[in-house]
Amino acid sequence: MTNVLLKAEPFPASITLLDNGLTVIHQHTPAMPVAAVDVWVKAGSVLETDAWSGMAHFLEHMIFKGTAKIAPGVFDREVEHRGGVTNAATSYDYAHYFIATAAQHLEETLPYLADILLNAAIPDDEFDRERDVVLEELRQSYDNPDCVAFQVLSETVYQRHPYGRPILGDEETLMARSPDEMRAFHRTYYQPENLTVVVVGDVSQDAALSLVDRTFHNFSDRETCPQHSPEAEPPITQIRRRELLMPRIEQARLMMAWLGPGMDSSVQSLDEQLNAAYGLDLLSVLLAEGRTSRLVWELREQRNLVQAISSGFSVQRESGLFTITAWLETDDLARVEAIICDRLSELASVPISEAELSRCKRLLCNDYAFSTETPSQLAGLYGYYSMIVHPEVVCTYPQRVQAIQPEDLQRLAAQYLSPYHYAVTVVKPM
Amino acid sequence: MALHTIASQPTQLVHRTTLSNGIVVLVAENPTADIIAARFFLRAGSRWEQPNQAGLSHLISAVLTKGTKTLSSLEIAEQVESVGASLGTDATTDYFLLSLKAVSADFKEMLILAGELLRSPTFPQQELELERRLTLQAIRSQQEQPFTVAYDQLRRSMYGDHPYALSGLGTEATVSQLSQTDLLDYHQTFFRPDNLIISVSGRIQPEVAVSLIESVLGNWQSPDQPLPILKAPPVLANPVSKTTAQETQQSILMLGYLAPAVITPLQSSSISQSYPSPSHPDYATLKLLNIYLGNGLSSRLFVELREKRGLAYEVSAFYTTRLDTAQFVAYMGTAAENTAIGLAGLQSEIDRLGVIPLSSEELQAAKNKMLGQYALGKQTNAQIAQTFGWYETLGLGIEFDQTFQKQIASITTEQAQAVAQRYLTKPYISVVGPAGAVSKLN
Repeated sequence: MTNVLLKAEPFPASITLLDNGLTVIHQHTPAMPVAAVDVWVKAGSVLETDAWSGMAHFLEHMIFKGTAKIAPGVFDREVEHRGGVTNAATSYDYAHYFIATAAQHLEETLPYLADILLNAAIPDDEFDRERDVVLEELRQSYDNPDCVAFQVLSETVYQRHPYGRPILGDEETLMARSPDEMRAFHRTYYQPENLTVVVVGDVSQDAALSLVDRTFHNFSDRETCPQHSPEAEPPITQIRRRELLMPRIEQARLMMAWLGPGMDSSVQSLDEQLNAAYGLDLLSVLLAEGRTSRLVWELREQRNLVQAISSGFSVQRESGLFTITAWLETDDLARVEAIICDRLSELASVPISEAELSRCKRLLCNDYAFSTETPSQLAGLYGYYSMIVHPEVVCTYPQRVQAIQPEDLQRLAAQYLSPYHYAVTVVKPM
Repeated sequence: MALHTIASQPTQLVHRTTLSNGIVVLVAENPTADIIAARFFLRAGSRWEQPNQAGLSHLISAVLTKGTKTLSSLEIAEQVESVGASLGTDATTDYFLLSLKAVSADFKEMLILAGELLRSPTFPQQELELERRLTLQAIRSQQEQPFTVAYDQLRRSMYGDHPYALSGLGTEATVSQLSQTDLLDYHQTFFRPDNLIISVSGRIQPEVAVSLIESVLGNWQSPDQPLPILKAPPVLANPVSKTTAQETQQSILMLGYLAPAVITPLQSSSISQSYPSPSHPDYATLKLLNIYLGNGLSSRLFVELREKRGLAYEVSAFYTTRLDTAQFVAYMGTAAENTAIGLAGLQSEIDRLGVIPLSSEELQAAKNKMLGQYALGKQTNAQIAQTFGWYETLGLGIEFDQTFQKQIASITTEQAQAVAQRYLTKPYISVVGPAGAVSKLN
């Protein structure tokens, strides 16, 4: 697989590096008179020290509280009152901020987004009030059993790495931080070399570049803040098991996880990492996407052992995560876990058939086509890849998927999906 | 800030054809991507269910794709998944839906399969038992989410004996008793060409789509007996307050008001006699009030209760679009100790709509927001097919896409205030939260 010459589609967007170090990605899509801007910042929660856990996400909330020139809430109004929508999200590797609007209004709304991102004031009184909102967000997540269980699973997988910490932080870390510290975090990371501005829609390249150049130029003075010092993450050498009892749940959960390739390895080439990631993507489809997938067919349809089962591989910068999650009766937990382990062994020892391989490839390639219909979807995809790897990688996806061979999948299953080395969280009704 | 009306979106060209057997075909040609999405709407759904058969539409949606006269469950799934298409079914209150999406080259094959599923499902007993068991579990699992518990409580108190009182899943008692004969009878009653609307969007010419559908479903004939006349019980106003105690971190607070159906109820039972029906005169205005109150980061609830007071992370409102009496709901999640303050906050923001007229700037901003978001919600082929098929199914006709936008643009502050005074009077209240917090409310 590694030596296959890939005939990738040409990358349909342009990538421009501005003089100040800011990356701009643009694609003109004239089909509809709309435009999407998605600004991605390499300022995710992975950069926090343990004591600052939750800072990246809390800052994302505070960005909307404006600047010296823009009062809290004004940005939201300027976008929404012109018929646009805006939102934001924070993850481990990034935070991103998003506008979708009629193309004609981009010129008027983007300057507001640029200013709040570059010059966030983080007013003291707003800091205290918005912390209450984040605490509500935290409470809401504590009332969701699947959220709680997934967090425990992450902690079990990542014992040292920040990927094991909750993105929201917790009450203790949130209460201990100050507006000054948040400003330091902002001034450290919201700098041009960490930003990618993606513009997709009915906007010409000249107009987009000139607009971004004009609006994203006045960055804050640089500061520094405490850096997370990476520690070596111990490999999973056994079965790490956590068991939770929860009130008010009506069925049990079985959540299993394996460490996968990241995208920043010093020992593997980028090609190897991407091919491994997409191969694991394919394995998750083979196992649990659609009624004919192996685990859905056997465990839900034939043996009636689970209410539902799903699998996924999430690509992250420093380490990917392969998961299998089942909702089932408490009595069936051990049996289902054993069956899953057995089926993983089989993946390593028996090559999959051409028909099954072809089904998985078509499903992945069509999913890719189905998720690139709108400017917003395209902008999200380019931005995400520019945070994790490089945006041009996006359009190699179908070719890489098509090149996967049965022996590649056997090798990946043997290397990554061991039935003896994994993390598992089991949730039982109290 | 300069506010101006958003330029009306260009009219999306939708071709509407009625086949000789009564199937209405809508096609929006959209060459942008090599994709075709299709939505098959039947005028069925939980609104048509008898009380002792609650959950029947949902169970049909779960078993419909699991066997036909010529295909097994596995064969059906293999046909779909081997070409990487998606095919799903869903039962809502007001319609039954089969959705499919495929790359253009695979569309014909998927259409043939969809035709077979709609015409000749067998509802195999073994598959029925499997899906029944999973549905019963899903009904119990609804209790896991505080929002769902609160909304269920609100719906029951607002709708009484009307089918809208229940989630589409039905109850443990009714689902346990549904038989294969019930499913077959329901299919026989509602799955017929004169009750079917097919809405297509994607890289296909309208005449090609129509002739494909004609070749697959053109020889399907409706039975002689007419479609049944619906006799849903009336929804009577009786605003009450209900609480459920459970030891969660947050309290979920909901205020609900009975609100007009999207169409003024007809004296006649048949939709086709009066097609297209005009929407209820207050429908667009309540939609506008709802978006002003509870949609987005600049909405009144978000700004007043979240931005200024930090009481909630999630605070929002919705107004359902329904064939029978709808609901206008505002809700939030807040820390247990803020339960009473939060409720009072929600209440005073809703009351304000009837007391203080919107300024002309607020009104224009709400219109821009409504129309802009409406346009952004019709971008993918699936969204386009859904919008037009839904309007056709409800009896509003595809023209409603344009009419609705014009209605929104013409609303005055006086109208908005009058409509708020008419409907947002005394609320139904539903609260779920820790015993200490909810007991103080009674």
